[in-house]
Amino acid sequence: MTNPIFWVGVLTLALIYASLAMALNVESGWGGMWDLGIAGLLASGSYCYVILTAGPDLDMRFAPGLSMWVAWPLAALFTGLVAFAIGAPALRLRREYFLITTLAFAEIIRQLVVIQADFTRGTVGIPNINRPFDSFVSGREYNYVLLAIAAAAAAVMYLVTRQIGVSPFGRTLRAARDNEAVALALGKRVNRMRIQTFVLAGVLIGATAPVYLFYIRAISPQLFAPGITFTVWTALVIGGIGSIRGGLAGAFVLIVFTEAVGLIEVDPAHINILVAIEPFLVGLLLVLVLRFRPDGLFSERTAFGAGGRSNSRARDPRPAEPAATSGG
Amino acid sequence: MQNVVFGIVTGSILAVATLGFALVRQTENFLNIAHAQMMALGAFVGVVLVDTYGMNIFAAGAITVVGLGALGVVLAAVFFAPVRHQGGTVLLFTSIGLALMMYAAILALFGTQARFYPDVSGSLHRIGGIGIATNELVIIGLAFGSIAALQLFLNSTGLGRAIRSVASNDDLARVRGVPVRTVSHTIWFISSAFGAMAGVMLGVLGSVNTEIGWHNILIVLAAAVLGGLRSITGVILAGLLLGIMMDVSALFIPTAYRPVVAFGVLVAVLILRPEGILSIQRRKDAVAA
Amino acid sequence: MELVLDAVRKTFGGVVAVDDVSAVMPQDQITALIGPNGAGKTTLFNAITGFDPPDRGSITFGGRRIDSLPPWRVAEMGLIRTFQTPVGFTTLTVRESMLAAATPHFVETPLGALGLTRRGRGHERVAEGRADEITAELGLADLLDVRTDELSAGDRKLLEFARSLMAEPKMLLLDEPAAAVAPANIGRLSQLVRRLCDERGLGSLIIDHNLSFLMQIADEVHVLDRGGLLASGPPAEIAADPEVMRVYLGTDGAGGDGP
Repeated sequence: MTNPIFWVGVLTLALIYASLAMALNVESGWGGMWDLGIAGLLASGSYCYVILTAGPDLDMRFAPGLSMWVAWPLAALFTGLVAFAIGAPALRLRREYFLITTLAFAEIIRQLVVIQADFTRGTVGIPNINRPFDSFVSGREYNYVLLAIAAAAAAVMYLVTRQIGVSPFGRTLRAARDNEAVALALGKRVNRMRIQTFVLAGVLIGATAPVYLFYIRAISPQLFAPGITFTVWTALVIGGIGSIRGGLAGAFVLIVFTEAVGLIEVDPAHINILVAIEPFLVGLLLVLVLRFRPDGLFSERTAFGAGGRSNSRARDPRPAEPAATSGG
Repeated sequence: MQNVVFGIVTGSILAVATLGFALVRQTENFLNIAHAQMMALGAFVGVVLVDTYGMNIFAAGAITVVGLGALGVVLAAVFFAPVRHQGGTVLLFTSIGLALMMYAAILALFGTQARFYPDVSGSLHRIGGIGIATNELVIIGLAFGSIAALQLFLNSTGLGRAIRSVASNDDLARVRGVPVRTVSHTIWFISSAFGAMAGVMLGVLGSVNTEIGWHNILIVLAAAVLGGLRSITGVILAGLLLGIMMDVSALFIPTAYRPVVAFGVLVAVLILRPEGILSIQRRKDAVAA
Repeated sequence: MELVLDAVRKTFGGVVAVDDVSAVMPQDQITALIGPNGAGKTTLFNAITGFDPPDRGSITFGGRRIDSLPPWRVAEMGLIRTFQTPVGFTTLTVRESMLAAATPHFVETPLGALGLTRRGRGHERVAEGRADEITAELGLADLLDVRTDELSAGDRKLLEFARSLMAEPKMLLLDEPAAAVAPANIGRLSQLVRRLCDERGLGSLIIDHNLSFLMQIADEVHVLDRGGLLASGPPAEIAADPEVMRVYLGTDGAGGDGP
């Protein structure tokens, strides 16, 4: 069990969750939109990708059989559209009601996947999803390819979300989260910015969905129960909501921890306990972090506070940023 | 018409579950996501007592309700009391953590196999061409009996009135010397007991599986929001309405859409009639900011 | 250009908060709005700035109707308000708050954040210079990297004002700008308000309880009482009006010592 391939898998999963948590951080941490509908967005991106790339052998009603390199960006765009359809009405609601609405939308999406079995194969699911470079590398070695793909995706996600965070756009987003009335009084188009952010998070989650599928290899609606939303949230809370590196760090702690504990040898007679370990640990970590370190491992303060902010600007590679005059 | 009767049965169970949820929302000021796991736990504890230990269904139900009510008080003291000062959002996410842990406990203790209560449906009564089983009549009776008892308790006992004053204004209640601890324990007992009771009822009507909690949390949220989270009558009406809509909709569209109907109603209500949430909040911001 | 209120009325559940108020406030002069607590001053601010539109009457700025516009549209037209309770952008530093106020909306898009559009690239640098200038003038320069929720109430009040100057205002609406501000800084504040008006034609509409502060800088004073306009005129005239002083002394005793 403790062979390197196992840990390659754990690392890959951690990077995928890290990507999702960083995308969530943009809308929830900086945008202040408490989205409990991650599972629905992930389902939208995943099913869009799977349907667009499905071969004729699966006997699905709509199977254009596109190349995965075409389907991947289309899945991201489609998820952005779904996010817009959810966000436009839901963003009129206050935090608690927004949270319920996004949770409800995610469940509606999952039920629609179950019901529209002609298109999605419903609860039967779709096995053996095509993966990039599958034909060049075989079997065990492919796990390293997958790790590289997940690492590249997480790196892009980190760079994109950090750029959002330190930009004037991210700054105004945080400002409007802190005090909507003042932002409005300064002429900020708060609602439009929030919808843009919600859609952007949707696009980022949709772009991550195919990577998740490469790892999972088979898709069924049960994957997109609220549990996955809560896991992503737990990763973000552990890492620190609103910080730039929080999602990354939190996902590593959470996934490595749960997978390592899963290694403990359990008598087959108590197989139920094995199934229960993951939700138990996720729940326990969430409760403990909220109680003893509510800011998480990295706080927003260290990301944007006095020193942190000017440092992150000084490292910014883009010449157009006024790093030289910031004086900080 | 037959479906309306089914709907009334579903709706009464939903009303019981939602009342427990709304009570905590009103007094502790957060959405307790773990509430639906209490329903699942109730369904399992009940089925184990009846099926494994051969207990009478009413005795098993009573033990389950009282036992889980007490468990709810303990869980609240361990999980929610220490983070109470951090506000509604932290409490809500703590309740998600607790829900995951309770779900894990259910998986570990009872396994993933679906279980069934022994057939306790009793004889079928016919009233003007509509059939209703004895157990369905008992469920409706018990549901409304307990709701009436709760109503009576809140209105005519000192402790009940204290709970209502906490529900309307926590700070004021504290100043007036309401025994906050006792009130809080009582609230958690009632809320958990109502959740457990709804769980047993759901189990008696259908099957008991580990996913009951996740399946029901949104329906409970929907009923709570529809009912306005405020009045007991509102919650009862919302529960009945949702129950009837879900069961009657089965006549026109495939039964698979049943949950989608509930969530669709929830989303529609939130978006079309958000209780003046928006305007009130704007005004508060403008004055306070 | 001027801000014109015509028969503006606002009620809350049957209680009349603002009752048929009409007034003309030139954009390039300093107008004070005084009155006892509950006279409807802040309600009027909320009506003008789109936070709580009036039930009846019209509000125009520079000849354009603004009474049915959302707050951000009113702000874009150049009417920038501050708030009585200076909460601000709690987790942003003073510098960030200042820059956020100055950022034009076409920069504030995800594409702009990712560097995919070129518009507004040099804006940030210019804004930093202005932020340095304004904070220096108000004595906030040492606090540029301090988070808003760690400032004293008085400094937060000054930040309210400083921030509003970053948003390219055509006219300021200041809700009790001097409350909680240290006496030494009130001098700086009133000098700056006066100078902005004289040198750059940037006028203000000011609510405050500190009458000596108001009477020194105001060109015209409107007195509001129980939702209605009681008197209007230059400070000296208002200070001599026995009716005004009766209303005012009843609630705000020591403040009425005028210029």
